[in-house]
Amino acid sequence: MENWLEGLEPIVGHQDIKVPYRYSMGATTSKFFIEMRDHKKILGLKCPKCQVVFVPPRSICGRCFSAMEEWVQVSDIGTLQTFTVVHYPSPVQPVPPPFIYGIIQLDGADTGLAHLIGEADFGRVHVGMRLQAVFKEERVGNMLDILYFKPI
Amino acid sequence: MSEKGGSLLLAEFNANFSFNYSAGRYASYFFKKLKEQKQIMGIRCSKCQRIFVPPRPACGFCFERNTEWVDLGDEGTLWGYTVVQFPFLDPLTGEERPIPYGYGFIELKGASTRLQHFVTASDLNKLKIGLRMKAVFREERKGSLADILYFQAIEE
Repeated sequence: MENWLEGLEPIVGHQDIKVPYRYSMGATTSKFFIEMRDHKKILGLKCPKCQVVFVPPRSICGRCFSAMEEWVQVSDIGTLQTFTVVHYPSPVQPVPPPFIYGIIQLDGADTGLAHLIGEADFGRVHVGMRLQAVFKEERVGNMLDILYFKPI
Repeated sequence: MSEKGGSLLLAEFNANFSFNYSAGRYASYFFKKLKEQKQIMGIRCSKCQRIFVPPRPACGFCFERNTEWVDLGDEGTLWGYTVVQFPFLDPLTGEERPIPYGYGFIELKGASTRLQHFVTASDLNKLKIGLRMKAVFREERKGSLADILYFQAIEE
């Protein structure tokens, strides 16, 4: 060992990175959240060319690049496509761990929606299980107006 | 359409990342010398003789392990700079850093690489590439690059 290392105390650095931001959700996402907030409706956009229903909605079809304007209401019930159990605490997560993130394909939609899974026995959550959205009482117009999806 | 205000929503989000990290042996020694002796240490490659500051364990040109520490003194020349007019959030504190301030690359005498730090002059408009700069140290040093407050232009 070189002598400069003798008695060298390893230094621990510290940083506080803060990232505050705000952005316009845009017309498409705003409509999605406003309908959810005001009517507990979950809307998707349907592609006029390939007929795919996107939930959450997007203005342009990612498969054929067609502009989409046809809004369709989808069910608040869907099927779990995949999930993960989160054990790592992070200030950017909406709830403390452990919790489950799942991707849910709602009935009437062709894409998956990422959300929390609640009221579930961790050992029994499985791909293919049926889930239903639980809406918050006080809704403000964002993704957490759905509290989580619960098994049915 | 909406019962509460307009048809466009705003998303607001505050992501705060507070974290610790190990500085490693080379940076720990560099910071120790900065704190205890106000020395800015570089490290020399035994093969190509380049001196790296901040120090790195291996030479990026020869892939030799660097072992020979060199005190580079506290003076150098301004190699490049900018005057910042945007109040960035300082990652060290999470607070906005007051503007304007100078930020630049300082080539310490004898070093083969440039150190990045705050740079200042009696008037920020007097900053100029090639100016001689001198490190101004904090009285209370904690063992971090912030132990140097800034590099001040030496104006005759």
